[in-house]
Amino acid sequence: MMIDINFVGLIITSIMASAVPLILASCGELITERSGVLNLGVEGMMIIGAISGFALMTVTGSLFIAVIGAMLAGILISTIFAFLTQTLITNHVATGLALTIFGIGISAMIGKNFVGIPGKEFPVLFESLKETIPFLSPILFGHSIVFYFAFALPFITNYFLKKTKIGLIIRAVGDSPVSASNQGINVKLVRYSCILYGGAMCGLAGAYLSMIYTPQWIENMTGGRGWIALALVVFSTWNPIKILIGAMIFGGLTIIQFHMQAVGVRIPVQFLTALPYIVTIVVLVVISRDSRKIRLSTPSSLGKSFYKDN
Amino acid sequence: MNTNLKISNVTKIYPGCVANDNVSLEFNSGKIYALLGENGAGKSTLVKILSGVIKPNEGEIFLNKNILKLNSPLDAKKNDIGMVFQHFNLFETLSVFENLIIDSNETKEVLREKIDSIMKKYNFLINLDVPVLNLSAGQKQKVEIIRCLIRNPKVLIMDEPTSVLTEQETSELFLSLKKFSEEGILIIYITHKLKEVMQLCDEVAVMRKGKLVSVSEIKSENIESLAKKMVGQNLKTIKKKKLETSADQLIKITNLNFISEDPFETNLNNINFSVNRGECLGIAGISGNGQSELFQILSGEIISDKSSIEFNKNYIGDLNPQERREYLMAFSPEDRLEQAAIPQMKIFENVALNNFKSSNFFNNGLINESKIKEHAKKIISDFNVNTDNIELKSQFLSGGNLQKLIIGRELITSPDLLICFNPTWGLDVGAINYIHETLIKINEQNKSIILISTDTDELLKLSDKISVIHKGELSKIMSAEEVTSEKLGVLMGGGEID
Repeated sequence: MMIDINFVGLIITSIMASAVPLILASCGELITERSGVLNLGVEGMMIIGAISGFALMTVTGSLFIAVIGAMLAGILISTIFAFLTQTLITNHVATGLALTIFGIGISAMIGKNFVGIPGKEFPVLFESLKETIPFLSPILFGHSIVFYFAFALPFITNYFLKKTKIGLIIRAVGDSPVSASNQGINVKLVRYSCILYGGAMCGLAGAYLSMIYTPQWIENMTGGRGWIALALVVFSTWNPIKILIGAMIFGGLTIIQFHMQAVGVRIPVQFLTALPYIVTIVVLVVISRDSRKIRLSTPSSLGKSFYKDN
Repeated sequence: MNTNLKISNVTKIYPGCVANDNVSLEFNSGKIYALLGENGAGKSTLVKILSGVIKPNEGEIFLNKNILKLNSPLDAKKNDIGMVFQHFNLFETLSVFENLIIDSNETKEVLREKIDSIMKKYNFLINLDVPVLNLSAGQKQKVEIIRCLIRNPKVLIMDEPTSVLTEQETSELFLSLKKFSEEGILIIYITHKLKEVMQLCDEVAVMRKGKLVSVSEIKSENIESLAKKMVGQNLKTIKKKKLETSADQLIKITNLNFISEDPFETNLNNINFSVNRGECLGIAGISGNGQSELFQILSGEIISDKSSIEFNKNYIGDLNPQERREYLMAFSPEDRLEQAAIPQMKIFENVALNNFKSSNFFNNGLINESKIKEHAKKIISDFNVNTDNIELKSQFLSGGNLQKLIIGRELITSPDLLICFNPTWGLDVGAINYIHETLIKINEQNKSIILISTDTDELLKLSDKISVIHKGELSKIMSAEEVTSEKLGVLMGGGEID
C-alpha cells in the first residue's frame, strides 16, 4: 500500500495546529513560574481569552480587535491573581485554583449569547506557496499568524531568558527574591509583569481555540488544555524547547488516537484518550532526568510568597 | 580622597524591642572598624539600615557631610556603600558571571574585563561560568566582595564574614581587607568573635541590647576587656578537666560507605572510628564535606549496613532514629528549626516528639497533655531555657533557647551517647558557654559525645579525640592535645600533616 505523502503532511499539520494553544499557554506560564510565581489559573485565563476573543469578534467584526482584546482579557484576569498573591500575599495555589473556577464560570455566563453563532474565517499567510513543494509546503505555509508566532515563541523565550538582561533578572527573582530585593531589584514589579505576561499568552491561546482552531464558542471549550500546559511547564523542567517537544507529542497522540478510533483499532477508547497524557509525561520525565540540570532550571522560590519586612 | 561616614542618633524600634537605641558613630577611611556585639545586640539592624534594607524610625546618616537618604539597597549602592551579608545574597542557580553583572548597566565585555582585573589584583581564583552552587563558602564570599568592588565602593561593610570560612580562608580574607583599607576603602567589620577584632581592626565599637556601649582604639583593649563590654559581665572561661578515659568501647563504626544519588550530597568513603565511654570525639571539617551525611547515618535518618555501626555490642546500622533512641542514643541535628524541632508546634509538643513510645505521654493513642507539660517544665528549668510559657510556638524561641530545649529534651532521658552537629551554630556567647558546660558535664558522667562541628575552637575545647572529614573521608584520629587549630586547618583544606 502506498502511503499518500500529502496525507502524512496533513496529519503533521493538524498535530502542529493542536499544539499551538499548549505552546502559547506553557511559554507564558513558564515566564510566570521562572519569576517564582505558581499560577494554577491557566485554564481559567485561557477560557476567558476564548470567550473574549469570540465575543469581540462577533460584536465588533474585527479580528484584530478580537485577538488583542482576548490578550487584554487574559491580562485583566491575571491582574486579579497578581494583586491577590503579590499585594495581599495570598497563597498561590489556592488563588490560582479559584481563578480557574472563576474563569470557567464567568465565561459560561458571558458565552450564553454566543452559543451556535458561526465564527469568521481567520486570514492565513503564504497561501499561494501552499502548492509549491509536495509534503513540506502544506506544513510550512498557509497558517494563521498566531500559528507562526507560537512556533517561534519557545525559541524567543529561550533566548530571552538566557541572553537578555530582563531574562536574567526574572531568573534571579525566581531563584531568590530576598537576594534580588537586596540587590535593588523590584521583586513585586518583576513578578507582576511576569504574571501579566503569562495572562496575555493564555488569553491568546484561548483566542486561538475559539477563533482559529474551532471557530465557534462551546462552553468549557478549553477542555483541560490549561492543565496540560501547566504540566508541560513542570515536566519540561522549565525549558521552553522541551515544552515544544512535549506539546508536539501531546498534540500528536491526541490526533493519532482520533484516527485510531476512527479506523476501529480494538483498544478501549478510554485508554486511547488517556494515552496522550501518559506518554507526554513519561517522555518528558525521561528526557529531563539529569538532576543537576533540574536543580539549575527550577525556580527555587516557586510558589512562595515574598514580602519585605520593614 | 578621605571618606567620612557618620551615623547620627539612629533609633529603630520593632514591636516589643528596641533594636537600635539612639546610636551615633563616626568612621573615617584608612582604618578598619569593628562593630562588636552578641546576637541580638543590634549590629545587624544597624547594618541593614546602612545598606538601605530597612529604614530607621529616627536618626540620620551622613557620607562626607552629605545626608544620605537610604530608602532601598539601590540607594546604598548608588552612594558607594558596598555590603557583604552574613547570609550570602547570591543566586545559587545562576552562574558567577550572571550574579556579578545583574545590577550593572555596563556591557558584558566591559564587565568581564573589569572582573578579570579585580581578580588578578587581589589574587582571587574563581571560574566565572559555573553556577554559584558549585562554589565553596569562601569562594561565594569572594563573589560577593567582587560584586561590591566592581562599583568602586567608598565603604565596605562585612557582616560576620568568617562564620563559614576555614582558618586559611579567614586569613586570606583579612589580607584582602587590609589591602582594601590601604587603598582608601572604609571598612566596617561586624562580628561577635573577639579574636578577629584584635587581629584585624584598628578601632572597635561595642553594642549591647541595642545600645552603643563603647568606642575605643584596639591598642587600649584586650580580649577580656572587650568580652566584658560585650556581655556586660565577666565571662566564665570554660575548661574541660582531663579525665581518665575508660577503655570501654561504646560505639564502633566499621567500613562505613555511603554513595548518594543526589549530586549535591557528598559520598562517604570507608569511615572507621570508635568512641569509648566518657569520651568526646570531635569531627572537624568545612561544611559540605560529608558531615551532614555522616550525621544522618549515625542518627538513622539514612539506613546503612547493619554491621557497620556497633553500639553497646549491638549491630544497629539498619535501625531508624526511634529504634536507636531505645538503645540510648540521642541526637541534636544542625538545623534546629528544620530538623530538630517543628517550628509551628508548641514547646511542650516538641519535647514529646522524640519519645513516641513513652506510655507516660501517650496511652491508648491519646495524648497525655498534663504529663507532657510537666516534662516540658522540667526541661525548661533544668536546662535554663529562658521562657516560662510552654505554650509558645517553638519558632519564637531564640536560637540559644531552642538549642537548650533540644539538648535538654535529648539529655533528660540520660542517653549513653549524644551525637550533635554544630550545636552552637549562630548562638551568642552566653548560650555557647551554657551548651559547652552541658556537654562537658555529660562526659563527666561517663557518657559519650560525637561532636560534628565546623567551629575548630569549640572542637579543641571539648574533644578528647579529633578527626577531620574532607570530601567524605575521615583523617586519622588524633588525641586532642597533639592538635592545633593550624593543623586542623591544613587537614580541613585537604592537605596532609605528618
